[in-house]
Amino acid sequence: MTPAGSLLVATGLCKAYGTTKALDDAAFSIHPGEVVAVMGPSGSGKSTLLHCLAGIVAPDAGTVTYDGRDLTALGDAERSALRRSQFGFVFQFGQLVPELTCVENVALPLRLAGVRRKEAEATALGWMERLQVEDVGAKRPGEVSGGQGQRVAVARALVTRPRVVFADEPTGALDSLNGELVMQLLTEAARAASAAVVLVTHETRVAAYSDREIVVRDGRSRDMERAI
Amino acid sequence: MNTLRAWARDLSLGARFAFGGGRQGWTRTLLTGVGVGLGVALLLIGTAVPGALTDRHEREDARSLLGATTADAPGRDTLLVARVDQTYRHQDIGGRLLRAEGPDAPVPPGLKALPKAGEMAVSPALERLLASPEGADLRERLGARITATVADRGLTGPAELLFYLGSDSLQRGGPGEYRIQRITAFAGDREPRALGPGLMLLVVLAFVALLTPVAVFIAAAVRFGGERRDQRLAALRLVGADGRTVRRIAAGEALSGALVGLVLGAGFFLAGRSLVGSLSFQQRSVFPEDLDPSAWLLLLVALAVPAAAVAVTVPAAVAVAGAIALQMVFTGVEEDYERPTGQDPGRAAVSVMMHMGTESRLDALARELAATPGVVRAVPLTGFQAARSTPADGQTIRGTIGTCDALREVADIGACAEGDAFVLSGGGLSPTGEPLAPVPGERLYAGNITSFGARELPAQKPVEWAVPAGARTVRAVPDPMGDLREGVLVTPSAAPREMGSWPTAQVYLQTDESRPDTLDRIRTAVFRAEPLAKATTLRESSEDTSYAAIRTGLFFGAAALLVLIGTSMLVSQLEQLRERRRLLAALVAFGTPRGTLGLSVLWQTALPIALGLSLATGTGLALGSALLWVAGRPVHVDWTSVLALAGAGVGVVALVTLLTLPPLLRMMRPDGLRTE
Repeated sequence: MTPAGSLLVATGLCKAYGTTKALDDAAFSIHPGEVVAVMGPSGSGKSTLLHCLAGIVAPDAGTVTYDGRDLTALGDAERSALRRSQFGFVFQFGQLVPELTCVENVALPLRLAGVRRKEAEATALGWMERLQVEDVGAKRPGEVSGGQGQRVAVARALVTRPRVVFADEPTGALDSLNGELVMQLLTEAARAASAAVVLVTHETRVAAYSDREIVVRDGRSRDMERAI
Repeated sequence: MNTLRAWARDLSLGARFAFGGGRQGWTRTLLTGVGVGLGVALLLIGTAVPGALTDRHEREDARSLLGATTADAPGRDTLLVARVDQTYRHQDIGGRLLRAEGPDAPVPPGLKALPKAGEMAVSPALERLLASPEGADLRERLGARITATVADRGLTGPAELLFYLGSDSLQRGGPGEYRIQRITAFAGDREPRALGPGLMLLVVLAFVALLTPVAVFIAAAVRFGGERRDQRLAALRLVGADGRTVRRIAAGEALSGALVGLVLGAGFFLAGRSLVGSLSFQQRSVFPEDLDPSAWLLLLVALAVPAAAVAVTVPAAVAVAGAIALQMVFTGVEEDYERPTGQDPGRAAVSVMMHMGTESRLDALARELAATPGVVRAVPLTGFQAARSTPADGQTIRGTIGTCDALREVADIGACAEGDAFVLSGGGLSPTGEPLAPVPGERLYAGNITSFGARELPAQKPVEWAVPAGARTVRAVPDPMGDLREGVLVTPSAAPREMGSWPTAQVYLQTDESRPDTLDRIRTAVFRAEPLAKATTLRESSEDTSYAAIRTGLFFGAAALLVLIGTSMLVSQLEQLRERRRLLAALVAFGTPRGTLGLSVLWQTALPIALGLSLATGTGLALGSALLWVAGRPVHVDWTSVLALAGAGVGVVALVTLLTLPPLLRMMRPDGLRTE
């Protein structure tokens, strides 16, 4: 698929940590509402690609364009604002704040965007219902199961109605049953909200939930058309 | 959203992080609070010290005889006072002999009435000492009936040993009258005490050296749980918090810990303050109510600690560096404040000086002292004044009476027999060109040569006396007190007769050092024989009292600091263990022996401290050298002190490791690791 009409496009991305090349002229594109799986073995550079796409890590060379804006040219405040309003994140271990309750965790991005507590928590509860974790709202992350925690993290990623959700091995710490449930709920909710999903995984079972796959090997990316 | 709301939101979110998180979160905040609280308590004590010193000095001045209002003649409102300070088992005891000359005589601060003859008012600490088994020997010396207790306002501190003894024999007049003052009031105008620039430098350095680690410690304490916090802040960054927001949230969290620390610190301070009254270090003690920091210093601490908590995050081991630098400066300026006395403790341990001594009283005292257990040798010498005319025109000749054996302590007399006399060489000329030393056969007046008929005591006429014609000229040698005598030396049968109470008596005492109570027995014997007699323990050097006080203060501070450092390390180590519980669980699961894990804790504490101590030693030596160079002093390193300080650091490491082991072993129990 060509980058035309793409929401997020990266070209010629290079990134090295010391003498180790993590990305070497990698490319990527995703359309609105599309689910793209980034696959590859451990250490291939797929997480680095995700970090560059999300503006968390600045690439050594290449460009990342989101909705026509060059991410690499944005300052910290602008990139933070973008992460707050346009992007959502799900990681292998959820990255929930242990001091806050689950509903407070989900409401956190809204609170940071200036939404008042009650309104933010009401919206958060709505998303938690969709992800079937409304009953753990008052609990802290340490008090819920891994699968529940990951669904709370998905709710948090979607609560601001982002246009892109970045998911880095979202089922990596879950058993297959919980993994399936999380992926099903994540992709359904994302599609319902017309959010694109960048899904980093090394499991073909998880990648099966995507519309398209990109394989990263030795820092280089290769776009694979899904065989249906 | 406006800036103020954003600040409020972020700070409160930070506070939520500090107090949220259930038991684990609370524990972390509590550890931070304890850490900061200890620092705050030390800061509060530091800020209270100037006020405490001022209060102490004010009370000391209020009872001082130096600034007291004096009178020339007896009256309704006059009081005769003499200092009769004592030493008992290396403890100094302040003492005053009092005799009221009229009904309105002033009463010392802390007393309601003057003790009558044979009665004694004592400080509570002295009363306890006298009542205890340790005070048994002292009771022999201070056996008067205790009729009153000196109240706090008459004492410098709760542990001060002080007595006021009533007397009916105290009187002015005679050669020892300068020891007795006639006063109408205790408190008088005194110049405010001021420290010289050298001592002021030491005080400033001590404060900097002691308070810097406190600031560093507070900064380190608010970083407890750093690993978790970093993860939390990273999560916040992911959900879109910008750098400024994250910093505000982190500040809110640190502020919360600091505020808990302030509250706990105030509690520690109040608890410590109530304990401080029962503590005494090198005989210095403080009343709890004296530790009362001024309001503006409290405000400064209340503002500075949270500010430091937010602003500073520097771990370091600067305490040892400061202490070594200070030690070097102390050594460098020591000679300014510690001077050789010229005394020779090898020849005599004690010198007893008695004014208004007759020959018989001297003999009696010498016999009693010689019989005191532990006294090896008593050398009695009598001193008298002589002049070529009377009343003396200002030029007097000193005379010393003693047996041949005793005279050998003050001059190189060679062959000597009873009846001999000697003239000491040297002495130079008087301003009128007269030789100061008398010549054999010269006629002199001896005894009361200066105040004949002018004083309150019954007039005592001077006696005529001729220097024995056969007197040889000999060379003086320093006596055990370091004094080089002039004038004449005579054996008793060649001495002037009937000088009354005018001669002074001195007894040098050699003691058996293996008997520790000897000095106290001597002092008791002397006080009982003559309260105004002065027993001086001979020392090779004497120390400036302000210098000694500052050094004592530094020891106080350094001790408190070591406790603080030890506690801080313990708290940090526990915090680290808590954070690494998962890692510990993995290691235990692999079958790692407990001994290995215990040693790992030791290494984790010891290696950073070893590195820190090496750096601190280097820094301290460099800093000390620089300070001495600036002060224009020769640079000298007291390696014993350096090693002692570094050793103290090692001791703290060992203790911390030991105290960390029980919680470590608890954590390694299967039920403790199950949840990990």
